[in-house]
Amino acid sequence: MKLLLKLVQKDFKRNPVITIVLTVFLIISAVLMAGGLRVAGTTISSLNGLNELAIPPDYLQMHKGSYDEEAFEKFVKAHEYIKDSLIVKMLDISNADISYQGETLEKCLMDNGFVIQNEGFDLLLNMDNETAVVEDGEIGVPVYYAEELGVQVGDTITLHKGDYSKKLTVSTIIRDSTMNAALTSSKRFLISQSDVDEISHHMGEWEDCFEFLLKDGASTGVLQKDYIDAGMPSNGVAVTGSLLNMMNALSYGLVAFIIIAISVLLIMIALLCLSYIIRATMAEENYTSGEMKAIGFPKKEIEYLYQMKYIILVMIAATIGYFAAIPFGDFFSASVTQYCGNGTSEWVKWALPFMGVMLLVLIVMRRCHRIIRENMKSTVVELMRAEENIKKEGHYTLPLAGFKYRNLVIAFGELKCKWREYFVIFFVFVISSFLILLPMNMKNTIENPSFITYMGIGECDIRIDMQYSEKLAKQKAAAISYLKNDPELKKYQIYQNGYVQFQNAEGEREYLRVENGDESVFPLEYLEGNAPNENASNGSKEMALSYLEASELGKKVGDSMEVDYQDKTLLFTISGIYQDITYGGKTAKAAIDFNENDVQVYIIYLDVSDSVNIQEKTNELRSILTDSKITPISEFISQTLGGIIDNMSLVEGAAIVISLLLITLITVMFLQLITAREHRAIAIKKAIGFSDRDIRIQFGIQILIIQFVAIIVGTFLANTLGESIFGMLLSFMGASKITLLVEPVRAYLLSPMVQMCVVFITVIIGTKVVRNYHIRNQIME
Amino acid sequence: MIKIENISKSFKNTQVLHEISFEIKKGDFVAVMGPSGSGKSTLLYSISGMDSISSGKVLFDKIDISEMKEEELSRFRLTQMGFVFQNAQMLKNLSIFDNIILPGLVAKKEPANDIRDHASQLMKQMEIEGLEERDIREVSGGQLQRASICRAMINNPEILFLDEPTGALNSGATDQVLAILEDLNRKGMTIMTVTHDSRVAAKAKKILYIIDGHIVASKEFLAGENRERELEEWLKKLSHD
Repeated sequence: MKLLLKLVQKDFKRNPVITIVLTVFLIISAVLMAGGLRVAGTTISSLNGLNELAIPPDYLQMHKGSYDEEAFEKFVKAHEYIKDSLIVKMLDISNADISYQGETLEKCLMDNGFVIQNEGFDLLLNMDNETAVVEDGEIGVPVYYAEELGVQVGDTITLHKGDYSKKLTVSTIIRDSTMNAALTSSKRFLISQSDVDEISHHMGEWEDCFEFLLKDGASTGVLQKDYIDAGMPSNGVAVTGSLLNMMNALSYGLVAFIIIAISVLLIMIALLCLSYIIRATMAEENYTSGEMKAIGFPKKEIEYLYQMKYIILVMIAATIGYFAAIPFGDFFSASVTQYCGNGTSEWVKWALPFMGVMLLVLIVMRRCHRIIRENMKSTVVELMRAEENIKKEGHYTLPLAGFKYRNLVIAFGELKCKWREYFVIFFVFVISSFLILLPMNMKNTIENPSFITYMGIGECDIRIDMQYSEKLAKQKAAAISYLKNDPELKKYQIYQNGYVQFQNAEGEREYLRVENGDESVFPLEYLEGNAPNENASNGSKEMALSYLEASELGKKVGDSMEVDYQDKTLLFTISGIYQDITYGGKTAKAAIDFNENDVQVYIIYLDVSDSVNIQEKTNELRSILTDSKITPISEFISQTLGGIIDNMSLVEGAAIVISLLLITLITVMFLQLITAREHRAIAIKKAIGFSDRDIRIQFGIQILIIQFVAIIVGTFLANTLGESIFGMLLSFMGASKITLLVEPVRAYLLSPMVQMCVVFITVIIGTKVVRNYHIRNQIME
Repeated sequence: MIKIENISKSFKNTQVLHEISFEIKKGDFVAVMGPSGSGKSTLLYSISGMDSISSGKVLFDKIDISEMKEEELSRFRLTQMGFVFQNAQMLKNLSIFDNIILPGLVAKKEPANDIRDHASQLMKQMEIEGLEERDIREVSGGQLQRASICRAMINNPEILFLDEPTGALNSGATDQVLAILEDLNRKGMTIMTVTHDSRVAAKAKKILYIIDGHIVASKEFLAGENRERELEEWLKKLSHD
């Protein structure tokens, strides 16, 4: 053992740069693997913890207006599978009437409701994950606002309407298992019973949430059907526990998924480098290993000897990686712990990374073992004559007309003969370029205003939301009359949004959100078919379905679909399928003239004239249509996907840093290996009159050519394969055919330039080693 | 032509050459002999500028090459010196012919066509015509060494440095190479070689004998002498002393 360690130590000393670079590679792989799994572990623990302590409902039905409370109680009693139920009374207050630090919340897309603490389940928790309690005059603010607006305990929230004003002191920040995520469009503030009573006399509108906890094994689908059949209050949105989980998973799990995906790529690279290095080292060691075999060293001992170095390396990397993953993982899971707390199963965030690094150790050990064993299969003579058996690499021909650019010609020529040796570095450059571009393009696509087309609507500038209220008709009329006379608008269109029911494949009744309005004003690109036409030639009514809804129902263009509205069954033909990631991705478009009382929301989309500033127009409309929620589309996208965009920015930054580090390391390592391998050629070139500079330029040209081609391939892959990956991710949300939007200057100019500059600088430093290859030593060797 | 003034060379704490001085005149054929590890190859590489010296001067036509920068020295080696090594050192990704013309194309002293013609002439002269497109692993050691001499001669250098040029060759190939060297020197080429082989040294006009980095003896042959016998006696005498 002592002898083995001495040999390993000697080997480290002989190739310090390669050993260090390989160790760094393995460390990065281990950090990312363990880090990604730590984020995953934290997310699992946090979400589980929040769910265990706050107990979110399995089914939630919103409703505005009157209802029969006694009938509801009877319904609950009549259905055994219902474990518990709640009617949460929520006082909806317009964002324009809520102020924080002198500014109203008008810019926020969220609908804000004021509630008292629930009993039994759906509890609002404080930052210690205990049931939050507020006294009179105090308010608990959703963690969303603490993150977005920086609201802190001790701050004041002011509610005002006309002459009435109420100041509430923030006493706690609230974690809400039902409405935590940015993807959920409603947020709940916690206040005391007497405050809610007082405020409701002056402002706001009551909305009720009918919430259910089910016994184990009971289906929300069955409850939904029974609930509808019993005619229970249901003019608002219905949400299932699984949808809430999906929104949370999307908000918090995406980062873990991306980091793990990057780590898998990195592990592949590390293994590739490892194989390359082992093969290169073994080639140098062939004679020695042949000698060892010749004097009767057992084969297993020799294998063990060569494996030892790599086992030590990967163990060091795994240990460092595991501990470095703690701050790394915690940084990327800061958002989930802030929103959901540390959770009740914290051991997961320690156990998963441990299993990850152990897996890495096993993979590396197995790989080493395989390569070394393959090598050891050769006979003694084969090993000792290995040098003579080097395969021919082929020739390149010098130009007949002589050299114009000698280094360029020689670099190209040698590259033609030795391109196989450059495969590893080429592969790493491709992956690095891909890793930089994909998150950049994904973020660019999400941030672009045209992303709205994946949200079920055509491109437009501003959106006006008018939620159901008793004065909805008046509100709508006021908005239309103002917009009609506004010369600064290019076009506008109002859409009704309401719910119809239909029977799904399992025979259960489900709600479907349908939008009704002229779809030609803000045309949408359809995946298949067209927008529904009110006057279809065959006389039948047409309906377009969102991608997820159509997939779930197995409907295609031309199929028929029955829906129920106001005790009537309406028959539609599916005219088209479009992409929509809003409302869980399940929506429809059809000409159904909803009764005013059944309209859940009126949405007006509008385009302003070219010379008009969108933000100024938004401010103007906000000052006039005070009861409506007015949002520029870019803000609508960024707020709806807020968490995802923030996470994408983090991932984009991390991918750039990792990729640049990766290409620096691989270039350093590769130059070390290739110059060591080419030491004889370097010496000959020096002897016949090439300067050190010439030789360094030749290596530089070869690596930069390889990188240039790799960047082209990486860019192509990011635009094609990347688009499919992005599409796959978003297909879970409802958009399957995504076109990545590339910002040409960043993607095609800045990114390649930065990568090539990094490699260029690394080559300048890395090829300094050429100076150390003295002709005398090489030739006399 | 080349004046070596008190050159010394040290590796770490070991001094390999001790204040060596001598002169090589145009048309000379100098052979450096000595036991293994005596510093003869180090002397050759130090004089040719392929290795740095610790002190002293190497004046090439009164130009001190030990003061030259790396880039300048490379150019100087390319145009003024030719090298032949023990194991013919050639680039494996070029054919024999391209290996020979490479220094010519880099130096650009003549047009490319003239360089090619010159290379063909040299190959004919060295009796290796027909091997132009061969891989360096497809020819014999003697043929490869002759190709190395062609490469060394392509830029019409002022001096040819050889390090054990016949060390890896069989007897027949050695004879061929020696005949070529003798012929080149007869035509005016200055040659300095390091060798163990008394047959090679016997072709030289001047012998330097080096032990532990010191020149301990030198001998110049007179015209018409039986050089091989003369050299044998001289070496015997040196070993007795």
